[in-house]
Amino acid sequence: MAFGDIVLYINPFHLFMFVTMLVFTFLIAIGRTETQVEAELGTLDDKTKKVDLKEFKARRFLSIICGIATAGAMITGDLYNLTLFMSLIGILNIGIISSVKQVEVLDSVFQYGLIAMMCSLPLFGGAALILGACGTVSLLAIQSIKPTAMMIFGAILMFIGACGESGIAPFFASKAEMFRTPGSPFLLIVHLSSLFIIIRVIEVLLIICT
Amino acid sequence: MPVVPPYVPFEYINMYLPVIYTGLIIGFFSLMAIAMEKRDIHILILTDLVGFAMILIVASVGTDLAESFILPGLVVELAEILAISEILISREMRKIQSKDMNKSLSPMDMTYDMEILTTAPNFIALVLLAFGVFLTGFTGGAVAGGGILLYIFSRKTRGLPVVEIEGISGISGLGWCMWIIGFCIFFLMPQYWLLSLFLAAGGLMLKVATKMGIIGILMREEYGKK
Repeated sequence: MAFGDIVLYINPFHLFMFVTMLVFTFLIAIGRTETQVEAELGTLDDKTKKVDLKEFKARRFLSIICGIATAGAMITGDLYNLTLFMSLIGILNIGIISSVKQVEVLDSVFQYGLIAMMCSLPLFGGAALILGACGTVSLLAIQSIKPTAMMIFGAILMFIGACGESGIAPFFASKAEMFRTPGSPFLLIVHLSSLFIIIRVIEVLLIICT
Repeated sequence: MPVVPPYVPFEYINMYLPVIYTGLIIGFFSLMAIAMEKRDIHILILTDLVGFAMILIVASVGTDLAESFILPGLVVELAEILAISEILISREMRKIQSKDMNKSLSPMDMTYDMEILTTAPNFIALVLLAFGVFLTGFTGGAVAGGGILLYIFSRKTRGLPVVEIEGISGISGLGWCMWIIGFCIFFLMPQYWLLSLFLAAGGLMLKVATKMGIIGILMREEYGKK
């Protein structure tokens, strides 16, 4: 099957990650939110934090889109699509958490959103530098090009961008407080997408740098 | 290795590295400014500067693929700044409400009654809409959207009927579908390229125009409740 000049670039590793991500997305789609119960000091009463139906539906929708975007980032053979999926995941992560009512959590989402916005500079800039150095964004074509200094510089920039968009190690401090809100299965996709994305980005960067 | 076509002027090729340096320097200085600034709203505005530096770097490549990087980059920046400013607004509202439940959340009272706000917008919005339809495509969408925005802002900021808003969103979806269909026809049946071109141009115009109109909805949701 061929669509014009489109060349498919798939190997078993990508397929495995793609299917795993889809399975997780399905599990999250049929899941229901948790209800947090907190004991109160001084009395025997409990305080429950519930998520109302409207918020539940909005979050479920955003999580499913986030799962599909992550699955797409797993299987794509194109630097352009990978960049777009990554920035989409950044926006969706903000969206999943932004509808909460706790002020501390909103504070943390605000910080994470700022980091995600700043990191679109290295993300898109790195992708553009790689495009400028190679003349193509197809990973299949980049595989056979010997790395130049500009390509490695672009790859480093892209790695910084991916770290910021998915909020891993150096930027995790901005993200940690986000998980103290009820709504567990939908929050898990935030972790899951950042884990999967970082594996895939490292693979892509190895393709570019070798 | 890629070859720069011979008809590209020498000045353009020379501008590649300086523009990248400029972008990185602007990004660096904006980050320094963000680190020194204390108020959240100023940090948000300065963060947008980093986005402009990103567009500089992407634009330095200057091919059609780079242009297709610029568009999503711009959209991502816009979407993120809208989302984050919404978060900022709702956080500040919660802070105010936790202190005093009865306090009004509107930033300013909009009860003024000026004649120019009831007579002029109809005409200007109509002219802008007609000119936008004449232009079509991205530019036309922006012009027509400006007309819609002017109309909503000046006349119906408080309490635009829900039906109208959902209608605007619906037209936006239709425009999107037209664009996608045009795109598919372009690949599957290249002999109908004129049809697909006009579908895409009209769809893009509707899409951009209604996107500007939807900004008016945000105004209604936050400040429209009395």
